[in-house]
Amino acid sequence: MSRTLSLLIFVVMTAFFACFFAYPIWAALEAAFRGPDHQFTLQYVAEVFLNQLYREGLWNSFVIAVWTTLGSLVVALPLAVCYVRFAFPGRALLNSLVLMPMILPPFVGAIGIKAMLGQAGAFNALLINLGLMDAAHPTDWLGQQRMLGIIIMEVLHLYPIIYLNTAAALANLDPALEEAAANLGCNAWSRFWRVTLPLIMPGVFAGGTIVFVWSFTEMGVPLLFDYDRVTAVQVFRSINDLSGNPFPYALVAVMLVFSTLFYLGSKLLFGSSNAGGGGRATTGRETVRLPAWLGWICTTLFAGVTFLAVLPHLGVVLLSFAKDWYGTVIPHALTLDHYRDALGHELTLSSIANSLKYSSLAMLLALLLGIGVAYVSVRTRLWGRQILDAMAMLPLAVPGIVMAFGYLAMTREGQPFHWLMLGEDPLLLLVIAYAVRRLPYVVRSAAAGFQQVSPTLEEAAQNLGARPEKALWRVTLPLVAPNLVAGGLLAFSFAMLEVSDSMILAQQAAHFPITKAIYSLVLALGSGPNLASALGVWAMIFLAVTILGAGVILGKKLGALFRG
Amino acid sequence: MVTITIQELTKRFSGSVVLSSVDLQIESGELFFLLGPSGCGKTTLLRHIAGFYTPDEGKIWFDDQDVTRLPAHKRGTGMMFQSYALWPHLNVAQNVAFGLEERKRPRKEIEHRVAEALSQVKLDGLGSRKIQQLSGGQQQRVALARALVIRPKCLLLDEPLSNLDAKLRLEMRSEIRSICKQHGLTAIYVTHDRDEALSMADRMAIMEAGKIAQLGPPPEIYRNPASRMVAEFIGETNFIEGRTLRESSREGFHDVETSFGVLRGRTDGTWQPASGQPVVLSIRPESLTFANLTDSPNRFPGHIIDTTYLGATVQYLLQVTGGPLMKVCEINPQEIRPPSEDETRAMAAMNDVVILRK
Repeated sequence: MSRTLSLLIFVVMTAFFACFFAYPIWAALEAAFRGPDHQFTLQYVAEVFLNQLYREGLWNSFVIAVWTTLGSLVVALPLAVCYVRFAFPGRALLNSLVLMPMILPPFVGAIGIKAMLGQAGAFNALLINLGLMDAAHPTDWLGQQRMLGIIIMEVLHLYPIIYLNTAAALANLDPALEEAAANLGCNAWSRFWRVTLPLIMPGVFAGGTIVFVWSFTEMGVPLLFDYDRVTAVQVFRSINDLSGNPFPYALVAVMLVFSTLFYLGSKLLFGSSNAGGGGRATTGRETVRLPAWLGWICTTLFAGVTFLAVLPHLGVVLLSFAKDWYGTVIPHALTLDHYRDALGHELTLSSIANSLKYSSLAMLLALLLGIGVAYVSVRTRLWGRQILDAMAMLPLAVPGIVMAFGYLAMTREGQPFHWLMLGEDPLLLLVIAYAVRRLPYVVRSAAAGFQQVSPTLEEAAQNLGARPEKALWRVTLPLVAPNLVAGGLLAFSFAMLEVSDSMILAQQAAHFPITKAIYSLVLALGSGPNLASALGVWAMIFLAVTILGAGVILGKKLGALFRG
Repeated sequence: MVTITIQELTKRFSGSVVLSSVDLQIESGELFFLLGPSGCGKTTLLRHIAGFYTPDEGKIWFDDQDVTRLPAHKRGTGMMFQSYALWPHLNVAQNVAFGLEERKRPRKEIEHRVAEALSQVKLDGLGSRKIQQLSGGQQQRVALARALVIRPKCLLLDEPLSNLDAKLRLEMRSEIRSICKQHGLTAIYVTHDRDEALSMADRMAIMEAGKIAQLGPPPEIYRNPASRMVAEFIGETNFIEGRTLRESSREGFHDVETSFGVLRGRTDGTWQPASGQPVVLSIRPESLTFANLTDSPNRFPGHIIDTTYLGATVQYLLQVTGGPLMKVCEINPQEIRPPSEDETRAMAAMNDVVILRK
């Protein structure tokens, strides 16, 4: 490819990032730090810390993030070690199944959890049937322990991120490093603590940081649990009086600062200290064949975690078919009415159409950007290409809610990007927001493709008379197509599931995407939750199909996309 | 130092036999080489001795202790890995100290012995360096120090020099050998580099397809290869097919009829060919000469079709009239013969023509 074209791509990408990544963050921060007379002020941020309610929200968000991260570690670490080290029945299948929660929208699962753990829910019914609970005084699990419900839901959703990172770190570890320790007299237990764990720490922390930032800023789950005392929900609640109120922005600014600090902190701690597992592996790692009973314990562990993680979504499925589900373990009678009604409801069809429209456009945009960034960073020697690559990964670290507020701030009346609002239609804004948020997955996926396809293939085409652009089009692109398709599918399915941008940017019912439609259905009376579940099941089916497709196309490399 | 005895060791990986009933004894203080093409089972055998594999059949003894099922961390061997396997989260001194810490030595002693080991491999003062800051050669020395500092029962080396450049490799050869001899170490060294084996080994085993093809000191294996594979693997050679005529007049030599005449040679002394038996002759290029050997009947008439000048030697490709192409190597050449159609003649001493079973 000619240098001019590379340069052009570089400039366009950089400009795009400046406008739609850096500027929105700046806009959100500006709103938080600029007083009524446009002077710099710390007053609003200080207010946040002085306000009892906001302080509690921050503290609760922090507590949820800490416990979610710890919980995910506890669930994921043993699983990852078992998977990489041992052979046990059903290993390959369980390795895929255990990742399923990743693609199940947690805030949809929350509907299921409520159906199960509510006062008249399945869990209490089970306890009453078993004679373990007084039917007259059922416990309101979620009423008293909503925070616990949120943490459980988020752990069950997010542990796959740590699992993937840890398993990858373990698999990349040169087995000789552990053998060398064994050779010098170190037993298995002490080997794990002295050699293995320190070496996989960067991987574990990379995953842990993503989980921490994610749960710190998660909005959908607490919202569905009706838990208002976390920052993200407080921000969402105050959205209606946004025009004059700087506090949501101040809250968002505080969240951004905290998230960035956590992110940087972990990078500093574990980022570059020991790059990878030290050289190429010279001996293949053999999985240890366990005695039958130990093997089955591993299998049970995997199956149990998977079952627990899928349980809320099973609840959703049941709810979507339930004629009446009150005070029993499973619904009394099943019906397809909700699916029929869902199709007739004014919100559902339009929201599905909206989501499909937003998500496919976002996917195209993300692909276009992703291919550009990946190509420049892998195939060219342009100055600053690594910066571009790093920039494209940053959306992983910036909470969705911050970005959403940034977009809101930069399109306010009188702002230079006000035209993006298209009157009241959030189409452009949502497409850009979705694309930017999911760009990291597309970039990594495309970059992996470009790295695998030798440039000499393209040179051979040029040697035979193809112009550079033509060579790229005819040789390289077809070869990296599987990666691009997989990256695109991921971008698409995550866009379908996106919560924070959707909640904040889509203001009118006619423009609601699926996620916001589900949320407003849950709030509706009567069969609202059932309709929401039916819609949720549709969303899960969409997701399952696209992710399975991506998995089939990408094979084992799928995991690489979720690594921090 | 221990004597290592290996008895009928057999190992299969997913059905295919990697080691097939290997018997071997490595003497105390011996620098022993396992040599062979890739996939011959040499590294697998070494890893059995280190304890990373458990054999399907057979036993391994350190002196009179059966270590077959002893886990790797209790064997007390010191291993140098091909990739060095230095831990990137520890610095040089911490890497070297690791084994002593596992042995719960007092801190003072550890410090002292680490410094001593680093000095022995000429890395004095580099203890606080990070592994990533070292060159390949320095990393290799750290790995050696780490294996030596625990005063291992035996030193195991898995292609330790394969990641170094040619010059460094030559230096390290003599250094490793002198360290082993200085400590009287029993050492087992795996390599596919025949020069390394020939120049360093007290004794070596050539392995092929999970079996030991030949066992002995380097000169014996080079001079008396037991099979076509060994002859070819341990050095350049020419093979000529033929059929034995009868025992010749001189003791121990046999006449072999080839397509271009009768040649006279010897076996390795362990067997005698029967009359009329099809055999292969192995003649090394450097044992062929264009000079006249009066007491040898082995003539190779033909013409030179290619000449390669290499400074210390000249290599010719000789088309034997009515016979095969042969490589001829003259050392310290006084005269360089250009390729030509003119008839010339090479000769080989009877002792240099080795008769192999076909």
